[in-house]
Amino acid sequence: MGGSLGGTRPNRVIGLTIAVTAVAAATGAIYPLKTVAPAVSLSVVYLPAVLIVSAYWGLALGLVTSLLSAAAFNFFHLPPVGRFTIADSRNWVALAAFTITAAVVSTIAELARGRALEAERRRGEADLVAALARELLAGSETGEALGATARRIAETLAMPSAAIEFGAFDGDERRRAFALRGGDGQQLATLLVPRGLPADTIERLRVQVVPALGVLVAIALRRDALQAEAVETAALRRSDDVKTALLRAVSHDLRTPLTAIVAAGHALGGGSLTPEERTELSAAVVGEGERLAVLVDKLLDLSKLQAGGAAPRLDWVSLEEVLLAAREGAGNEQTTIMLAIDPDVPALRADAAQLERAFANLLENARRYSGGLPVHVHVLRAGPRVVIRVVDRGPGITAAEHERIFEPFYRGSQAGAGRWSGSGLGLAIAKGFVEANGGTISVESLPGQGTSFVVALPIDPEHEPVPLPEEVPA
Amino acid sequence: MSTPGSRPRVLVCDDEQQILRALRVILRDAGFEALPASTSEEALDIAAVSRPDAAIIDLVLPDGDGIELCRQLREWSDVPLIVLSAVDDEDAKVRALAAGADDYVTKPFGPRELVARLQANLRRTEPGPEEAVIEADGLVVDLPRRTVHHDGEEIHLTPTEFGLLALLVRNRGRLMTHRDLLVSVWGAGYGDDTQVLRAHIANLRRKIEPDQAQRYIRTEPGVGYRFVG
Repeated sequence: MGGSLGGTRPNRVIGLTIAVTAVAAATGAIYPLKTVAPAVSLSVVYLPAVLIVSAYWGLALGLVTSLLSAAAFNFFHLPPVGRFTIADSRNWVALAAFTITAAVVSTIAELARGRALEAERRRGEADLVAALARELLAGSETGEALGATARRIAETLAMPSAAIEFGAFDGDERRRAFALRGGDGQQLATLLVPRGLPADTIERLRVQVVPALGVLVAIALRRDALQAEAVETAALRRSDDVKTALLRAVSHDLRTPLTAIVAAGHALGGGSLTPEERTELSAAVVGEGERLAVLVDKLLDLSKLQAGGAAPRLDWVSLEEVLLAAREGAGNEQTTIMLAIDPDVPALRADAAQLERAFANLLENARRYSGGLPVHVHVLRAGPRVVIRVVDRGPGITAAEHERIFEPFYRGSQAGAGRWSGSGLGLAIAKGFVEANGGTISVESLPGQGTSFVVALPIDPEHEPVPLPEEVPA
Repeated sequence: MSTPGSRPRVLVCDDEQQILRALRVILRDAGFEALPASTSEEALDIAAVSRPDAAIIDLVLPDGDGIELCRQLREWSDVPLIVLSAVDDEDAKVRALAAGADDYVTKPFGPRELVARLQANLRRTEPGPEEAVIEADGLVVDLPRRTVHHDGEEIHLTPTEFGLLALLVRNRGRLMTHRDLLVSVWGAGYGDDTQVLRAHIANLRRKIEPDQAQRYIRTEPGVGYRFVG
């Protein structure tokens, strides 16, 4: 029965038709029954009609049905039949008893109907609140969920549209505004609905939707804040981890040359030195001191890059000059570095000093791992970019390491196989300077097959046409 | 093992040539002979062939990890092992000591400290009469009588405190890990109860150390204690 008791009242015309039909049917049914029972006791036959009409169409129509039944009973079945008068006083009593019974039945049915409607309404309310909570809280971000939530409200309340906006808004001639407040009474958002909605829809919005929605928005916003906090904490922890690893690596890398210097100093103060030992030890002090100086320079480069303080000073740069200078700066070890530059490679807009640092570090790295075999550098033009490949025939690196090798102080798994003395900073610095100049750097390598570092630099990072002096308007 | 009278020989394994060179001179000046090695493999060969009296080992080696080298040496040799490393964290120290190292010196090191640690660890393996009464800087520990005097005044220690102090002074200069102390004084089942150890060391210090200084018992944070008097 509950399912048929919709939120909206069923059509009264249908109700009246049913009432008249049911009264007519009951009136007709009494004729055959009069042969087995006294007519005066047969008024009960009308009660199912009264009950059904009251339950479905409410008290008013129920009472109408009661009166109609009483009139029909009187007219058709109480003597004198065919008139609205009653001869026998016992029949008066019967009619009165029937009318009262019918009225009571109508009232009880109406009460049951009201309760069922109320229960239905409350269930609908709970369903709507649950649906809104799902919309608002299931998503990852409240701002994105507001649209779906507003659509759900519009759909449920049969409104043409609805919107929820953060902050306090006033209504206007087209839209009516409801303030959505959190538990502390502060307005967090506004529900906007079209004007001209039916009064019961407005009432439902005001009573059912707005209070629950306000609390839900407050919860969702709180959830957002906590999530953001958690993300921030995780990021801070990651950055702390990186700093700790950096600090540990720096302290290790500074300690090693420092130890050699301090130990050599102590040894030089000893009494049993041969002249060769004296020469060796003083060479060690100088050599390790220089190594410290290089490390400190690299750390400064890196800290500048990480602080974002490495803004390139753009000028026209010849890659050939840069690479030749970088080759000089990449240590004077035995390994040969072969340069091959295509003739159509143009000059670049870049910071020459930064590119020199980047390539010196790349070449130094290639030299260290090439195992004495020549390192090749190819430069060619590819559309709006110049591509520089630095190729070594070293041990190569695994795919898993391709990203990590650009991290400061990361030394490849192959690094331990030879006598490495690198700082572990070179590739991080190269990447930093290449990217500061609008370029990209990547690595192609397979273990056992050598490594290629591929640098792509934009020919003109600012995409500005370069006016030659004679083309400049006077 | 060196013959009496000759210089004790010390295997030194470090991949930095410059440090090896300096250590050779420093050790010679202190009365030792250095046997240099720059890889674990070389170190194992030298240890097997030349039978050094002690070894100084770097943790970062080109062909592996110094901790692994300690473990391998410990499998067949009782030689005192001192780890010399730029890695300065408790975790590395604990791992090295668990792998069989006897002591740990961080880079950059003071040559006198390194030599003192080396001598302390060599004393352990030297045969010879053990001192019954140990005197250090005003503190007199009489092991057979189980008494302790400080500047002539008797100090009353509980049996546990005396046991700890006796173990530390018998290993004068050597690093005793938490585990060494716990297992020797309390027994094999108490190896992890560092809180108990800390409490007893604190009580012992309160009785023997003047002015809360670490004059006799020095803390090696996270690792153990050392008697330095």
